[in-house]
Amino acid sequence: MLLQQLLNGIVVGGVYALFAVGFNLVFGVQRLLNLAHGAVFMTGAFVAYYTVVNGGPLILGFLLAILASGALSMLIEIVCFRRLRKSGDAEFGAIISSMGASLVIMTIWQWISKTQVLRFPFDTMPVVIYRFWGLRVSLLQLVMMGCAILIVLVMGYFIYRTPFGRRVRAVTDNERASMLMGINPNRIYNLTYFISGALAGAAGVLVGLAFNNINFTMGEPYLLYGFVIIILGGLGSIPGALLASLIFGMLQTLTIAYLPSGLTTAFIFSVLFVILLVMPNGLMGREGAGSLGRRR
Amino acid sequence: MNAYVLGYLPLFDLFLLHLGLAYSQWLVLRSGVFSLATVGVAGVGAYTGGVLVVTYGLPAPVALVAAAIGGGLVSLLLAIPLARLRGVYQAIATVAFIQIMLSLNNYAEKITGGAAGLNGIPKVVDTLTLAVCALATIYLMTAITGSRIGRAFDAIRQNEAVAASLGVSIEAHHRLAFIVSGALAGFYGALEAFHSYTLVPSQFGFPFLIAILSYVVFGGRNTIWGPIVGTALLIILPELARPLAEARMLVYGLLLILTINFLPKGVADTLIERIHAKRLRAKPAPAPAPTAGS
Amino acid sequence: MALKLVNLSKRFGGVTASADVNMTVPRGTITGLIGPNGAGKTTIINMITGMMDVSGGQILLEDRDITRAAPDDICRAGLARTFQNIRILPENSVLDNILIGFHRHEHCSTLSALFGLPASRQETQAIRDKARSLLTQFGMSAYADYPAGGLSYGHQRKVEMMRALASEPDYMLLDEPIAGMNDVESDILAELFQHLAEAGKGILLIEHNIRFVSKLCEKIYVLDGGRLIAEGPPAQALRDPAVIAAYIGGSDA
Repeated sequence: MLLQQLLNGIVVGGVYALFAVGFNLVFGVQRLLNLAHGAVFMTGAFVAYYTVVNGGPLILGFLLAILASGALSMLIEIVCFRRLRKSGDAEFGAIISSMGASLVIMTIWQWISKTQVLRFPFDTMPVVIYRFWGLRVSLLQLVMMGCAILIVLVMGYFIYRTPFGRRVRAVTDNERASMLMGINPNRIYNLTYFISGALAGAAGVLVGLAFNNINFTMGEPYLLYGFVIIILGGLGSIPGALLASLIFGMLQTLTIAYLPSGLTTAFIFSVLFVILLVMPNGLMGREGAGSLGRRR
Repeated sequence: MNAYVLGYLPLFDLFLLHLGLAYSQWLVLRSGVFSLATVGVAGVGAYTGGVLVVTYGLPAPVALVAAAIGGGLVSLLLAIPLARLRGVYQAIATVAFIQIMLSLNNYAEKITGGAAGLNGIPKVVDTLTLAVCALATIYLMTAITGSRIGRAFDAIRQNEAVAASLGVSIEAHHRLAFIVSGALAGFYGALEAFHSYTLVPSQFGFPFLIAILSYVVFGGRNTIWGPIVGTALLIILPELARPLAEARMLVYGLLLILTINFLPKGVADTLIERIHAKRLRAKPAPAPAPTAGS
Repeated sequence: MALKLVNLSKRFGGVTASADVNMTVPRGTITGLIGPNGAGKTTIINMITGMMDVSGGQILLEDRDITRAAPDDICRAGLARTFQNIRILPENSVLDNILIGFHRHEHCSTLSALFGLPASRQETQAIRDKARSLLTQFGMSAYADYPAGGLSYGHQRKVEMMRALASEPDYMLLDEPIAGMNDVESDILAELFQHLAEAGKGILLIEHNIRFVSKLCEKIYVLDGGRLIAEGPPAQALRDPAVIAAYIGGSDA
């Protein structure tokens, strides 16, 4: 029973990783929090849904969702953040601006979906259950795991092994210096936001399939879970976000299994406070949570 | 004419209620704390007030005071883990706090009535009471602004290292900002409870947080006029054009993006700054500044 | 009656940024601290003002140990500072920038400040008057209501100086106070510093401009590679072979 829970937790954690890695990637590059990330995630689910109900195959829906979410995320950076970064106070401004973007995107999907809860047609994803060692794994869970692992591997390769990744890391360390080296930071930002959004869109499709419940508020809880995950992993750290996603997925599954149902949310967010008290920089984060007015 | 005015009274009440919460948000931002907890603390105050009156039969004024004290205390507790954090960390932690309060209010059915709501709260607060409270709040905020505490807040917000180097205790002032902002939120939460007949936990969730934050961002974060102008405009705007009311979320979203990008100080603060600059220009100019640094 | 550094040390991991620095800044005189770029002056300042942890040694402000005190405690103990790169409160007016300097001397209760009681208002009025007389003294009265962020570089330095003076400190730490100023302006400031020292304040002057330092200081300390390499009256210390080597070794004296 416990093993089954842990397995489910890992699957959920994989999806969280898709969401949180992109969330944290953007924070790592610009030190800005993109509160519209939940809306981007939701956009992925909606695009896949409308592709499927209009007769397209699921795989096409998945691809379109990734493209649309990536493009949307890129657009958010251009519209909401680019101007702000040139002014001084982008940290506060970005939160406000992306909160606004989130509201706009949510309203648009609310209109399109007429405030309904949407469900994929029954046979979109065949229900197949595999059993081994007394554990049950569904085909969907395998697909979720596979996608999560594949996408994270590809992205890791991208960031740590390619010239593009080196440029991303150069811009992260020092925007001005990298400009002097001939790197155009705006192009880098476009790409990182695209990747971040595409990952969130993929997560949106998988979550839409897993819970078969697509609605215009579905991004909100994931944004909140994303907060806990990136704080636990360390703001800005990609490996940290990955590890924290798995831990969080398991923690949440266990909490739901063993705690009274009304208390799970309170418990999960209390964990966030404990982390902030005990290790504000998370598992793998850099320094930076603290104030300037004290000895360090 | 009279009926016409009366028709707008509920809107005016709403303005006064939200104005108090806007000041609660405004105050912490002024002190350089990026806390978004106001709505969560308002929930604590509302339920404290509501439960004390409905379940324990206390008179409303006593319950109001209790709600303010409760809000201040909860906010003080929140200040402890937040004292060492800054910026986005504070924002995230306080959003988590709102979420915890929301689910606790839902869970504690025996006390709060859970999702079904706390019903039968006597409506003892009228427009006059609200207006008096709002005036008192504005006075309080003006007094703080003009005092050593307000000056310390200004310094901390703009540069913590400078503030500390001038002997300002950042921790003490942040704690104070949390307490006052929390007490205000608790008090106005209870007013909200006594102004309606019922309370549900989801009232104090994200849509409310976004509304309150929008008032302050739109109006202005640094002058006393900011919350007044922001709250008034954002409440009246959707009423003037009915289609806007339908798309309130969209309007707020667009306004947030536009304001922070093109009018980052907010409507009122920018206007005041312009007027001030004009007045300075009208005065005989001081001797031209010697161009140092050349 | 002095600010004393006793065997003050700072290590970052394996790197030693300051090693056994001993200095005395007595009241009534101006003491200089010079050294080439990267000599560790900033580290010393950050340790004295409480911005950085101390790895070893002691900092004494008269009979008080401030080695581990927080920055605000250090100011309240009577040590004020200015910053190398100007740190003005840009949104506030010039007058408000100076008002905050008086913070250390505002004693009205928190309650009276919160509720705007007469005690708080009278105190505010009193420090406003004091700030205005400071402005007059510095010839900046006309700028009182201007936003400080829009002032010229030299004026911002003056505002910072007034702000530090407003806290009526016993000791002042001036971090490159004349950087970017012309001779006329720096002469005016030199006079001011001398007045302050004569009035009994202890002044630690960190400067690149050796001419300025030798003119003002009774005693200077020369830092290189985190260690003191010479100390004494300027004329003598600057002739020290180690000092000449350090400066010729490479930088903008």
